[in-house]
Amino acid sequence: MAITCGLILASILLLAADKSPIEAISSIFRDAFTCSSFDRCNIFTTFALATPLMLTGLSAVVAFRSGIFSIGQEGQMMLGAIVAAYIGHWVPLPDNIHSIVISIGAIIVGGLYGWFAGWLKIRLGINEIISTIILSEIAILLLLYLVNFPMRGDRGATAYSPKIDETAMLKVFAPGSKFGTGFVIAVFAVILVYFYLWKSGKGYEQRMSGEAPRFAFFGGIKSEKAALRGMFISGGLAGLAGAIEVMGVHYRINQGFNLMNLGFDGLSVAILGLVHPLGVFIVGIFLAGIRMGAQLGLQFTLGIPRELGGTIIGFMILFVAAEKLFQKIFDIDLRSKFRRKKDA
Amino acid sequence: MKYILETKKISKYFESSNVQANDDVDIKLSKGEIHAVIGENGAGKTTLMNILYGLVSPDSGEIFIEGVEKEINHPNKAINLGIGMVHQHFKLVPSYSVAENITLGMEPRKNKFFLDKKEESKSVKELSNKMGLEIDPDSLIKNLSVGMQQRVEILKVLHRNAEILIFDEPTAVLTPQEVRELLKIVKSLAKKGKTILFITHKLGEVMEVADTVTVMRQGSVVGTKKVKDTNVNELASMMVGRDINFVRIGNPNKPGEVVLSVEDLMVLNEVGVEAVKGVSFEVRRNQIVGIAGVSGNGQNELVEAIVGMKNIEYGNLTFYGDNINKLNVGKRRDLGMAHIPEDRIETGLNMGANLEDNIVLTGYKTDQFSKFGFLLKKEMQKFSKDIIERFSVASAVPGEGVSMLSGGNMQKVVLGRELSGNPELVIANQPTRGLDVGSIEFVHKTLINNRDNGSAIILVSVELEEIFNLSDVVVVMFDGLISGIVKPEEVTLEEIGLLMAGQPIDEDKLIQYKEMGV
Amino acid sequence: MLDVLDVFNIDLIRAGIRLATPILLAALAGAICNRAGILNLALEGKMLMGAFLGIYITYKVGNTYLGIILALILGGLVGGIFALFYLKYEVNLILLALAFNLLALEVTVYFMRILFGNVGSWTDPSINRLPEINFLGSETNEGFLSIFNNHNLIVYISWALVVFVYIILFKTPLGRHVRSIGENQEAAETLGVNVARVQVVVLVVAGMLCALAGAFLSVGHMTMFTRNISNGRGWRGVAAAIFGFQHPVGVFFASLFFGTADALSLRIQSVSDYPPSLVKLIPQFSTIFALTIVGLRAKFLVNLARIKFRRNLDNKNK
Repeated sequence: MAITCGLILASILLLAADKSPIEAISSIFRDAFTCSSFDRCNIFTTFALATPLMLTGLSAVVAFRSGIFSIGQEGQMMLGAIVAAYIGHWVPLPDNIHSIVISIGAIIVGGLYGWFAGWLKIRLGINEIISTIILSEIAILLLLYLVNFPMRGDRGATAYSPKIDETAMLKVFAPGSKFGTGFVIAVFAVILVYFYLWKSGKGYEQRMSGEAPRFAFFGGIKSEKAALRGMFISGGLAGLAGAIEVMGVHYRINQGFNLMNLGFDGLSVAILGLVHPLGVFIVGIFLAGIRMGAQLGLQFTLGIPRELGGTIIGFMILFVAAEKLFQKIFDIDLRSKFRRKKDA
Repeated sequence: MKYILETKKISKYFESSNVQANDDVDIKLSKGEIHAVIGENGAGKTTLMNILYGLVSPDSGEIFIEGVEKEINHPNKAINLGIGMVHQHFKLVPSYSVAENITLGMEPRKNKFFLDKKEESKSVKELSNKMGLEIDPDSLIKNLSVGMQQRVEILKVLHRNAEILIFDEPTAVLTPQEVRELLKIVKSLAKKGKTILFITHKLGEVMEVADTVTVMRQGSVVGTKKVKDTNVNELASMMVGRDINFVRIGNPNKPGEVVLSVEDLMVLNEVGVEAVKGVSFEVRRNQIVGIAGVSGNGQNELVEAIVGMKNIEYGNLTFYGDNINKLNVGKRRDLGMAHIPEDRIETGLNMGANLEDNIVLTGYKTDQFSKFGFLLKKEMQKFSKDIIERFSVASAVPGEGVSMLSGGNMQKVVLGRELSGNPELVIANQPTRGLDVGSIEFVHKTLINNRDNGSAIILVSVELEEIFNLSDVVVVMFDGLISGIVKPEEVTLEEIGLLMAGQPIDEDKLIQYKEMGV
Repeated sequence: MLDVLDVFNIDLIRAGIRLATPILLAALAGAICNRAGILNLALEGKMLMGAFLGIYITYKVGNTYLGIILALILGGLVGGIFALFYLKYEVNLILLALAFNLLALEVTVYFMRILFGNVGSWTDPSINRLPEINFLGSETNEGFLSIFNNHNLIVYISWALVVFVYIILFKTPLGRHVRSIGENQEAAETLGVNVARVQVVVLVVAGMLCALAGAFLSVGHMTMFTRNISNGRGWRGVAAAIFGFQHPVGVFFASLFFGTADALSLRIQSVSDYPPSLVKLIPQFSTIFALTIVGLRAKFLVNLARIKFRRNLDNKNK
């Protein structure tokens, strides 16, 4: 985790080399902290934003750990949201059962979508990065279509679907924000994913298939089955994220549903969180903070475009990736010195 | 007399594998000489060749080219000095033509920017005719036979004006006719004044084509002889070494029922060439079957086919009478197969994971380590600690990674994992490679224990001492076939060496594979 | 189905050619990288950077041609930075590409807003776009040949580049080195080919090609820059490189295929009432379709080899 902190500094320094005026730099510092301090009221919104980030982050973690670089969280989210909007409005069910049914439905649909991408890679050798991106675009278009036509609930300029029933909405803790049950579910998911990957037999198979395929083969693990399983879970988590967005935040799907790019941000969360559930939890909140800070703080207060937030994230990813190399160099040196001492 | 190539006291130690690959190696080559270098895998021949070709730098020692000391730190330097290497694994571009492969990196140009394909073909055709290596310069590599592809490799080297040609195990992938062709080519190249350094483990070829032969073993030169002054027997003995300590560990048990039966097994290697060409033998309970032979004669493919990591092209494997041809690795392990692989780093262990993750590979589905699908961490830790103690795996801590362990300790982890479950059949492939004396003894003791408890054990090893001391029966492999099955107490060292070289011995000493239980 | 027949006409093919151009340029970049053994997934990001640099420099300099040339040079620089991180620092290729794409997306919008105010898209009347070129004379404005006439300058440049890349790849030593690295890197290395240097060159050229693609989007046909103006074309370039089997001519037709799919979808949207989002699915499905074909072919070839071996083995044993 210390690594990531070092990266933040590095990235901020890099931003200092920008062409932006110098005042901006100091205010970036302030805003990065302002985000969490006067966030005492804003911190709830940050948590609310962190919810889908954590779930999509977990989705990426499970996929990556299984050895598949799936970046289709966005699309899986859309599908989950569609399921939620549909069941939420057209399928009346009693309180609580409604949300549970929606969640399960979203997980299954998202899971199947993820499974499909995995199948394409294993059966047809199609690079999963390209395929998941295209599948995501397809899902986004599907949502647009549904929102504009069959599921249209309004007559206005921007299409949106009818509000879901009260019975499907998630409870909110702090009024004025959307921080509610969704967050709890996300935290729960973090714990579940951790237990699954590190404490269960099936999760073990997944990790070994992703980390050392020959070793897994040697030990009798059926890597392909494990990878497909991982993709199903990955898709399911992202689908759940979409469903929660509908049930807990927007209460409907609409035309700009994918504008916040929550799926892709989830990727960044996973990478910066070092592909570990705990990392996803921490970085998820952190990233949500950056996005919020950039939007509120920078944009409103200083008129600095909120893209700065994304830029910071981008640089951090770059450095995390490069960092792995620097780490390796240092580790190798240490290791050989250590061994010489032992043999002496 | 000036030598065209001379090395003095070349030494190289590889830290990553704790191996002294070359130890004070001296070699002298005269111009026009065909000099063979023979020895086991791991004897150091490949390292020496890599040093001469600039792929590896020696720790100490000098190289003299025509009496002048030279430093060779890059293949380009070697090429400039007239040294060329014909690799065992061809480095050719399949979709390019012969001429294109040969001229890669030094293409003739038209107007400085464009390729001159006509000139390429022409110069290659000229060279091939001059050297007696006829070939069509425009045919594509992927359409050529292996023998022809090798010719392209040779021409590549000659095109760059190599005077000293290093052939690395050139006959490993050739058919008998192609081998004859190659030996003819080698002889004619020598007549044309080229000096040839020929690495092989096929003693017959050495006798046929070489002028001088150097035998290497465990990094050192055992001896250099003129081929006309020696014979196959002597070479075989030199290769296997005289310092074998025969302390046969007897077997008080009578061999039990047949656990594994191998019938007419045929297996292909990665490039689709037959590596196992029809092998039959049986392994029984309370028995250790040793598989001896120089590396590369099909042993690894045989092992992989038995455990399920390679497909069986022909033949049958039966386990306690049931055919297991179609079972995958996992199911075979469930039946009770354990496998100690030759490559402990890539295959036997997950270097990026910690100790428990590595140890639980064989047991994560069993009741000992899992309940309702969840791994029992405490049990895993206990088991890990247990193995660490029993096998004296120094400096290993359960929660930490295995990449920090020395080679020998890594092997102990693998052994602990594979051997502790009381497996029905243990396949151990070079189990004591890189281990210190104490650990070797321990491994042997453990294997014996397993044997006494009823396991059937297949021990594949290039260490004859190990094979002799532990095996009840020895299967010698050569060129994908069994050259003989013998009882260790009934044969001499020379006879084993002959079998390993594919040479026949006294018929009376051979056992039929169905009689291995007697 | 009268409205469907309305769709298929000359204009469709012209539109297809136009839409295919940025994909083609990116695909050429992708193809040469693939040939050199590098799977370059940052084409989308490089395209975006090229688009932004193209329009910005043109604005500052006042001359479109100069602007594009400078954008090309900077694009090459960007390619070089990519090469630096990949080759020198050995950054994971996929992570590097993802980071690049993300950065490009955010940084371009960031600068747009910093420099031109908080806008969603930006244009300026002072910017001239590139002209169309009338090759074949004005009589050919009807009929078959008009397909090829009156296209934007960059379209013709892209065609020329296809030929150019072909010549370099197959008729020069450099091209031969590039291809050998992708097919058998060891073969090249042991013969003294400087693999790193060739790969850097390839990445720089790829950067330039993507920059040109981006410039086409921002100052070629229209003059405007918006967030994510490339909208997936870089990824379709990656797919086109694969679908064209890394060969300039194959890539040309693959890009044309994708471009026509795009054009088709636009056309159908304008002449019919079908829901636009559904129609927009056409290009996506065409991409998946293309990739599936490539995958099936590969599987087929592998199986063919296996069948051959089996047959040989059986013959030997008989």
